[in-house]
Amino acid sequence: MQEELLRIKEVSKHFGGVYAVNGVSLDINHGGIYGLVGPNGSGKTTLFNIILGLHKPDQGEICFKGKRINNLAPHQIYELGIVNSFQLPRLFYDLSVLDNMLVAARGQQGDRLFNSLFLRGRWQNQEKELIKEALEILELVELAQWAFSPAGELSGGQRKLLEVARGLMAKPTLLLLDEPAAGINPVLGKKIFQRLKDFSHNGIAFFIVEHRLEILFDFATWIYVMDKGRIVIDGEPQAITDNPTFYAIYLGEE
Amino acid sequence: MGPLIYSCDIIVYIGIFGIVCLSLNLEYGFAGLANFGKVAFFLTGAYTYALLSQIGLPFYLCLIASALISAIFGLLVSLPALRLRADYLAIAVLAFGEILRLIMKSEKWLAGGDWGMAVSPIFPYMGSYLLYRLENIGLVFLCLFLCFLVVQLLTNSPYGRAMRAIREDEVAAEALGKDRSRFKAQAFMLGSAMAGLAGGLYAQYLQYVLPGMFMPMVTFTVWIMVLLGGPANNWGVLLGATLVEIFDRGTNIVKDYIALPVDPSNLQYILFGALIIFVLLFRPRGLLKESAIRTKALRLAHNARRAVKNKGSQ
Amino acid sequence: MVDWLQVLFNSCVTGSLYLIAAVGLTLTYGLSKFPNFAHAEFMTLGAYVGYFIAEQLGLGMPLAFLFAFLVTGIVGFLFYRGIFQPLAKRGASIIHLMVASIALGFILRHSIGAACDWNPLYFTATWPAFDVGSVRVTGLWLQLIFTALALSLAMHFLLMNTKIGKAIRATSSNPELALASGINVDRVIWIIWFVGAGLAAVAGIFRGADTQVWPMTGWDMILPVFAVTILGGIGNFYGAIAAAFIIGLAENIGVVALIGLGLSTTYRIGIAFVILIITLIVKPQGLAMLFRRG
Repeated sequence: MQEELLRIKEVSKHFGGVYAVNGVSLDINHGGIYGLVGPNGSGKTTLFNIILGLHKPDQGEICFKGKRINNLAPHQIYELGIVNSFQLPRLFYDLSVLDNMLVAARGQQGDRLFNSLFLRGRWQNQEKELIKEALEILELVELAQWAFSPAGELSGGQRKLLEVARGLMAKPTLLLLDEPAAGINPVLGKKIFQRLKDFSHNGIAFFIVEHRLEILFDFATWIYVMDKGRIVIDGEPQAITDNPTFYAIYLGEE
Repeated sequence: MGPLIYSCDIIVYIGIFGIVCLSLNLEYGFAGLANFGKVAFFLTGAYTYALLSQIGLPFYLCLIASALISAIFGLLVSLPALRLRADYLAIAVLAFGEILRLIMKSEKWLAGGDWGMAVSPIFPYMGSYLLYRLENIGLVFLCLFLCFLVVQLLTNSPYGRAMRAIREDEVAAEALGKDRSRFKAQAFMLGSAMAGLAGGLYAQYLQYVLPGMFMPMVTFTVWIMVLLGGPANNWGVLLGATLVEIFDRGTNIVKDYIALPVDPSNLQYILFGALIIFVLLFRPRGLLKESAIRTKALRLAHNARRAVKNKGSQ
Repeated sequence: MVDWLQVLFNSCVTGSLYLIAAVGLTLTYGLSKFPNFAHAEFMTLGAYVGYFIAEQLGLGMPLAFLFAFLVTGIVGFLFYRGIFQPLAKRGASIIHLMVASIALGFILRHSIGAACDWNPLYFTATWPAFDVGSVRVTGLWLQLIFTALALSLAMHFLLMNTKIGKAIRATSSNPELALASGINVDRVIWIIWFVGAGLAAVAGIFRGADTQVWPMTGWDMILPVFAVTILGGIGNFYGAIAAAFIIGLAENIGVVALIGLGLSTTYRIGIAFVILIITLIVKPQGLAMLFRRG
């Protein structure tokens, strides 16, 4: 029996007296594909931010591969293998698309001051490999021709694609995707999820927030439903769509 | 002073301030740190050189010490200050610089207080003003070359890419594994070291140090040089240093030949101010825009791309 | 033997000066979101206009204050309308705006230097000096304290009870909401810049009359004024009142300490710098938590 990859236990976070996340517990297993759904304001993005280390939980515990990660800084979370794709793309707009990808790459020798000055050979070959990988991923999301253009020149949909592509480039063990298909036309959205499906064969675990339930439910194997900061129901997609509580949650919002 | 000697003097200044510009470019242009206390580290280097050369240390050790001591000050300042918002950081470092200057003014036993102290030059005067300047041009430009090499190598590498990413969006960069405190602190330390080196060169060239040489005006001048030339472009800031220095001297020369209705030193600052407003309004990216990251691998990939494009269009 | 009453009185004098100078800075910093270093030159300009009116034209101090306020207020408005507002519209960063303010400061300072040269000027008007008990008091200082008090009361009344005051408070806390509620946010900002610069001019005259008038009059004071702004909480008028007196007190007690420790009194001005740096590092919001602007 494999231990879970990510375990969240009774995590709470409040802002000025309002609980954005209230006693949330959930598990993510290795290589699994999980969805997180719920009405706006139910705390999904806050939960992601807590996992990423952007917020510290007020109560509760988060463990990754058995190790407690509550108080780690975001860059340390990344080192462990958790990578995020933001809902509103946070790209480096003055850098080229390719450079954006390269920033995400893991284990770069050239990241260190000494190496960048004195041991240039060590990372220059590595960079050639990374460029190849980056171009392959960019090819998959149809952004390869913009590789050398500044990220600021991309359209809204393309920026979203780059945001997701960057997450994949980081070779995560667990990839958090916050609405990867938001603001993108349905055809492109379906395409993104197809690409993700291809990638899932690499053993990456996915945790995806998505409002386009048809696309998500086709991909994910387990769904958590959040409302007002709590996990209300969870189960396989089919079980969720058969559960009247699910609709009550969403319709209450509409 | 003959025109040739005067020109050489200008060139020495361009070299020294070129180094300071490269340091500010690293901190602000590439790392996004608004260092408005640049003169503090320039001062530290100058006074370190003055004091150490006085006790007889050979000049190269003095210069290395100038860089090192300034770097240490840079590290000390960076520890509390680097997580501050841009304007808070700017004000804090500005105040820090003023405190340092105040200390040098008041503590006469340190380095002569307001009256300053003499500094023995690296190249002793041997009867020729021209030779003195040429020797200094050689030394200063050697140092400038080394600093330029360092910043170019740094910024055209994964390290430089990470630094620019932190400048663009430090939250995203951190979520992608970049420890922003490390990068910022290193940029600040390296920048301070370069400013310190320049300070040491300055002290021995002018053969004197006193607090009045390190007013906030020096910081602002360097900022004008960087903003005019183009932040995040090392050639650009050197261009900015050259243009501003020539402009600065130019107005002084004009004073000797043309009677202006306004005292040139006032006019010069008025024009400086107007120049920087003009740049900010109409060319905020400076004369040369940010240099692209160029590594060997990237160049190869770009060339390969272009070759494919050309083949495709035939 | 330290005369603590004198120290207390001097603290009120220093604090009053800093308060009058800081009101404009803190409000414009809070509204326009950048530190306006040209504020120093607003003070300098005020000192020169005041000197011109009072000494050269011999029209007396009240008119000097009035004209300095108006002239500098207009300059402040023009700086904002002509440079800062367009820059902000083009998406200039805080640093760019700050650099622009430094540049405008140069232009103003050296224009004054060109017009009036750099020799310090001294007000020949005399104010009576007398002793209240053991405390040395001058008429100028009393006027200064009185002005600061009057200003505080007037601002309080303005902010709490007038339509324009409510508009200012609304714009300070939430410009978008203020705009949506029909407040002419642009006009509010213009008024703040005008009044802020005008008040800086008043502070400049007091400073110039107390010491000397020269192109660096404002710059000599600007960092302590920034210290007051930040300690009080940027944009927070009431915080500025408290901060001004805290820093006034710190400076004057500090002078006593410096003399006692045998250090140079040149460090006096450094006291405000140290407070400034510590505030920025430890609690950049300053005293804002204590003074909700309502």
